[in-house]
Amino acid sequence: MSGDFVVHVVDDDEAVRDSLSFTLAASDIKVASYPSALDLLSQVSSLAPGLIITDVRMPGMTGLELVAKLKQLGVGLPVIVLTGHADVAMAVEAMKAGVVDFIEKPFDDAALLAAVEAARQRLQGDAGRLAVRDEILARIGQLTGREKEVFEAIVEGESNKSAALKLGISPRTVEIYRANVMEKMRARTLSDLVRMALLRSSN
Amino acid sequence: MESGDKVMGAAPIRDRLGALWRAQGRLVAPDALIIFALALGLVAGLAALPAHLTIDTVVLLVPPIVAAAAFWRGGAGAAIVAGLGLLLAWQSGPARGSLDAGALAFVLAFSAIAAALGEWAVRRRRLREASARVLEEREAHLRSIFDTAPEAMIVIDAAGIVQSYGLSAERLFGWRPSEVLGRNISMLMPEPFRTQHDSYLQRYLTTGEKRIIGIGRIVVGARRDGSTFPMELAVGEVSSPGSTRVFTGFLRDLTERRENEARLQELQAEVVHISRLTAMGEMASALAHELNQPLSAIANYLNGARKLIGRGPASEAKVSEAVEKAAGQAVRAGDIIRRLRDFLARGEGERSVESLAKLVHEACNLALVGAKESNVDVAYSMDPHLDRVIVDRVQIQQVIVNLVRNALDAMQEQGGGHLDVATTIADGAATVNIADTGPGVDAQAAARLFQPFVTTKANGMGVGLSICRTIVESHGGRIWTEPNPAGGAVFRFTVPLAEAEETA
Repeated sequence: MSGDFVVHVVDDDEAVRDSLSFTLAASDIKVASYPSALDLLSQVSSLAPGLIITDVRMPGMTGLELVAKLKQLGVGLPVIVLTGHADVAMAVEAMKAGVVDFIEKPFDDAALLAAVEAARQRLQGDAGRLAVRDEILARIGQLTGREKEVFEAIVEGESNKSAALKLGISPRTVEIYRANVMEKMRARTLSDLVRMALLRSSN
Repeated sequence: MESGDKVMGAAPIRDRLGALWRAQGRLVAPDALIIFALALGLVAGLAALPAHLTIDTVVLLVPPIVAAAAFWRGGAGAAIVAGLGLLLAWQSGPARGSLDAGALAFVLAFSAIAAALGEWAVRRRRLREASARVLEEREAHLRSIFDTAPEAMIVIDAAGIVQSYGLSAERLFGWRPSEVLGRNISMLMPEPFRTQHDSYLQRYLTTGEKRIIGIGRIVVGARRDGSTFPMELAVGEVSSPGSTRVFTGFLRDLTERRENEARLQELQAEVVHISRLTAMGEMASALAHELNQPLSAIANYLNGARKLIGRGPASEAKVSEAVEKAAGQAVRAGDIIRRLRDFLARGEGERSVESLAKLVHEACNLALVGAKESNVDVAYSMDPHLDRVIVDRVQIQQVIVNLVRNALDAMQEQGGGHLDVATTIADGAATVNIADTGPGVDAQAAARLFQPFVTTKANGMGVGLSICRTIVESHGGRIWTEPNPAGGAVFRFTVPLAEAEETA
């Protein structure tokens, strides 16, 4: 990978921080690590171009607060969030905060590198990233009107029940649409689906 | 019970005598008299018939018959028979109308006396029968109490010899009455009481110093098969002038009560355990995160190492280091699981000597899992004195976890604060203090806070603190809350020290 691209790792857990740096370095990726969000912010003016990988749960300032702060400061570095348990509510919040991707802990090497690569391409406005986005948009295009509505409701964090109420259909029907959506979007988990919704709107 | 005691004490002999007496009473006194009177009347009548069949001789038959009727059916019977006899004599007498007034007066007077005597005898007999029946009923009643009361009763004399031994006692000890009656009570006790009981009895008889009599205490009994069991013993003494001194022992088997107590304790432990599971369930997300940290690190180290393998000697050292670190993280993950498992274990309710400071630290570590982003400063201040306590470690840690989680919840509402965890030791007891700077507890709620189903939380069950109280009180301590001078609330609870005697 290119020489001037640096992954900034923010995690208060020393073992996670150290191991993440180690595995990225083993893939010949340059790494800078910070024990807290405030440490990164203190050096924000001199950050090397690249991307930020941050834990969500941290003392002082959480990962999502960091994302919001960076957005406020106008720092354009893409942010990948690490989370122990990616529930939809958290994912939606991350999406709103401007996170480009999130990875569930403990994660596979490939998932990490793929996310890093996607973010790198995003930074460089690469065609590959757009291809991913186009693919997702194509899948969304296959959804029927009702399926699309259910999809939007789910990625907004609605439960089957509340989505049913909102759309004026029965929860049982929502379940059926939901299964169709998962299949057409080729999403294995709810997190996958939310992630796709996230990547679709990226530009 | 005094008269009852005497009845029971002499019951076997009295029973036999009573039966004999009743038999005699029925056969000898009234029945024999009646038969005698009838026989006399018949003999007299037959002697007079038929040679001297005059009105006078027929009239002479009347008094014995009247007497017999009187003894048979009392005054009324006698009057009827006398009337009938006279009428008969009057009507059928061969010398009708020749009855002289003197004979008639004599017969009437005799009949009247016979009737009165008969009436008196019958009344007496009825009275005697009634009192015998009452006595018999009372004895049967007492016997049934003696045999069926849940408390077994045993009567002994001043020498310790068993005088009376009921069915309940038989059920309790397994010995048959014939095997116990007349033998020393000590056979129902295990050693060393078996050999010492006579001296206990002797000491009481000489000094009058009561150790059990009128007081009652829990003692150990020995069954026929040699097994022992706990029982509650109460002894009553009966000594009245003219009767021998006896002691009545009331025995209640405590085996079942002990079992009930054990069962109750088991149920309580169950509730406490479930509440522990619930507490951890509420922390599941935080615990998953805590566990994911080392697992992520392991995955990262090993993935990195795999890529470096075979890249030459320079990377070999890195690989080795990474593998070592991964192993360290695996141990860390194991520690978290072990801590959790220890906390969630059902536990045998066993108490052991523990260091309070260590116990508090461990519990706080568990309670503070996932709390790092809640912006709470934690300060510990442990009393450096000897702080060994005898506790069920997990249960006391449960109390601490509960109080610390409550403190965190309280402070989360205002975005952070200070948590002070301190132990102090005074007067043979250790106090654990958990102070927060949350919104505090208002005085009205504070009084009822430790009752079940009382909560100040929006979605709390109000179970946590009542379980804390159950645990603390079962350890002989107490738990309370007071306002924190720095704002917020302080929860304190005490635990007795293991070396209370030495430090007090």
